[in-house]
Amino acid sequence: MANTKRKPIFYWLLFTGTVIIVFLLGMLASSITNRRAEKEYVYKPMVELKQGEPRNSEWGKNFPREYQSYIQTMDTSFRSKHNGNAVIDMLEVDPRMVVLWAGYAFSKEYTQGRGHYYAVDDIVNSLRTGAPSAGNPSPQPNTCWSCKSPDVTRLLGKMTPAEFYNGSWDTKGPEIVNPIGCADCHDTKTMNLVITRPALIEAFERQGKDITKATHQEMRSLVCAQCHVEYYFDKKKIEGTAYLTFPWDKGFSAENIEEYYDSYGFTDWTHSLSKAPMLKAQHPEYETYMMGIHGQRGVACADCHMPYKSEGGQKFTDHHIQSPLNNIANSCQVCHREEAATLLANVYERQDKIIENRNKLEELLVRAHVEAKKAWDLGATEAEMKAVLSDIRKSQWRWDFAAASHGASFHAPLEIGRVIANGITYAQEARIKLARVLAGKGFNQEVAYPDITTKAKAQQYIGLDMVKLNADKEVFKKTTLVDWMNKAKERESKY
Amino acid sequence: MVKKFIYSILPPGQWQMPVIILLGIFVGMGIYIIKISNAGSYLSDDPETCINCHVMNSQYASWQHSSHREVANCNDCHVPHNNVFSKYFFKAKDGLRHSTMFTLRLEPQVIQIKDAGRRVVHQNCIRCHEPLLQDRSMLAVVNSDYFHTRTDRECWDCHRETPHGTVNSLSSAPYARVPQLENPVPQWLRNFMDKQNNN
Repeated sequence: MANTKRKPIFYWLLFTGTVIIVFLLGMLASSITNRRAEKEYVYKPMVELKQGEPRNSEWGKNFPREYQSYIQTMDTSFRSKHNGNAVIDMLEVDPRMVVLWAGYAFSKEYTQGRGHYYAVDDIVNSLRTGAPSAGNPSPQPNTCWSCKSPDVTRLLGKMTPAEFYNGSWDTKGPEIVNPIGCADCHDTKTMNLVITRPALIEAFERQGKDITKATHQEMRSLVCAQCHVEYYFDKKKIEGTAYLTFPWDKGFSAENIEEYYDSYGFTDWTHSLSKAPMLKAQHPEYETYMMGIHGQRGVACADCHMPYKSEGGQKFTDHHIQSPLNNIANSCQVCHREEAATLLANVYERQDKIIENRNKLEELLVRAHVEAKKAWDLGATEAEMKAVLSDIRKSQWRWDFAAASHGASFHAPLEIGRVIANGITYAQEARIKLARVLAGKGFNQEVAYPDITTKAKAQQYIGLDMVKLNADKEVFKKTTLVDWMNKAKERESKY
Repeated sequence: MVKKFIYSILPPGQWQMPVIILLGIFVGMGIYIIKISNAGSYLSDDPETCINCHVMNSQYASWQHSSHREVANCNDCHVPHNNVFSKYFFKAKDGLRHSTMFTLRLEPQVIQIKDAGRRVVHQNCIRCHEPLLQDRSMLAVVNSDYFHTRTDRECWDCHRETPHGTVNSLSSAPYARVPQLENPVPQWLRNFMDKQNNN
């Protein structure tokens, strides 16, 4: 027979081949078994979380999928056309902002924020918080920590909001080290979404609404609204304390909020060139989102910024909070059937058209500030300037409302287009009045547009000593900050 | 000739025992895989087959809450019905792609139908709803563009919610309860093991 003539090597190969195939089949069987099982086990607690546990990694032991996706907010590699998650020095991109914020801390530094993972790093490294050292407090209050860390939730469990806000920013430095995370939005025991920040609860109360009655779908936006909103520091409520307050009592629109501020005679700062009593818009993202079509149709922030996700049979929410433009398939295409490229083009079209007029308004505002300064230099009186300064205040508030709302050119393009248009009107009103004032002083020509082609030139123009500011910050990072981190490490070692 | 071939691959006497054992393992493993992967169910038209791997849970849930639940299962729409060969060829082609994607964890979060699938579904709409397309007396309202609305677009360009709704992904039914896979260990064996454990 033929087989008797075969060499032993043939049988060895046949044997090995069969072994390999059976081994691979075993692997496949094992994979199928695993994947049948993976939907059975949703929650396997590994540690018991203490009430207000601020360390995200501890929560991560019980919720590995959520934690792993949260950790991805570390990523800084995505740049969309106008934003993204990389650090962008906005003052370098747009030096006009330096002039618009002359006399205010934002003219020192303003960067496009990174992901939640960097919340504490970014506030600590910002020039706006100053370079505190012993006997030399930060220019900012503790209120600035409010949105940076689940350590705030921990501290609010031990003290009243006013006690938390009280004092300069550096006094709670050693207490706040964990970046925005689990305990900011979740209850430790039930994992339900929960509002941990008093300012939002108080704003609801003042409007006669009970936030505990919010539906789950509303909560999927309201937890974001704890921070992504317009706010101000009420220094009159409790003397000497910068009490975090949302100016929503009269409504959400730029005009409603302005009316609220005007009724209190509230001013964030006095502009160092024009002497106008200015308002600084923070980031009215929730407010503007509510004025757009997605908000009006009940789409929650989380629907696009944290879409549902499945891994095997496990459903969970993607905690990689980011621009949906980096995740079009799972955000936009859940409802929209168009190609990703088409949807991206639709977003960019809105952004491009809004920024076209926003840039124009910026230029007009720079001119208005510079012309107002010229008027003061030529001896204009307070009475002559009053109406002008009011227009500048109104105009720049509208510009800032649009610019600081970040996503609003997409969230609510119609509303933002309207707000910017009104801003342009007020800026030109101010400049018409200024032209009359200047002409009255015998100056009847164009006031030269300053050379602010770079951030450095603009900062020099408004008289900022950047060398000193940067040097002081470096010293702070090497001394005070190291001290804070050591104290925090020691405190957390006792948890 | 056949006999000669069989003899030619038969191992020599001293090899026969191990080869038989290995072949037994091979076949046994194969049967086990067929069992735990519910492979047999793929020949059926049972909608629960489509959630064997739980990726299509939200599609199952939206179908289960639609009126089509009463008259059509997944295969009625999603595989061709012009002849039995075409049906099983398409099913095998789709199924092999799905199982490969699932095993390699490549399935997208938002599942969208491919062009081949679209054509099949469209034909299946026509298969059942043909009278509506051919006989205008069946309609409550007859439009002047009767011909165009029925020839130059897909049914769901207008009937967008049929039957899965307009929202894709888990967002369409995030908390849907769907039938779960049964334990592959048979009941008598479990009873037996429980008894052993209790003793």
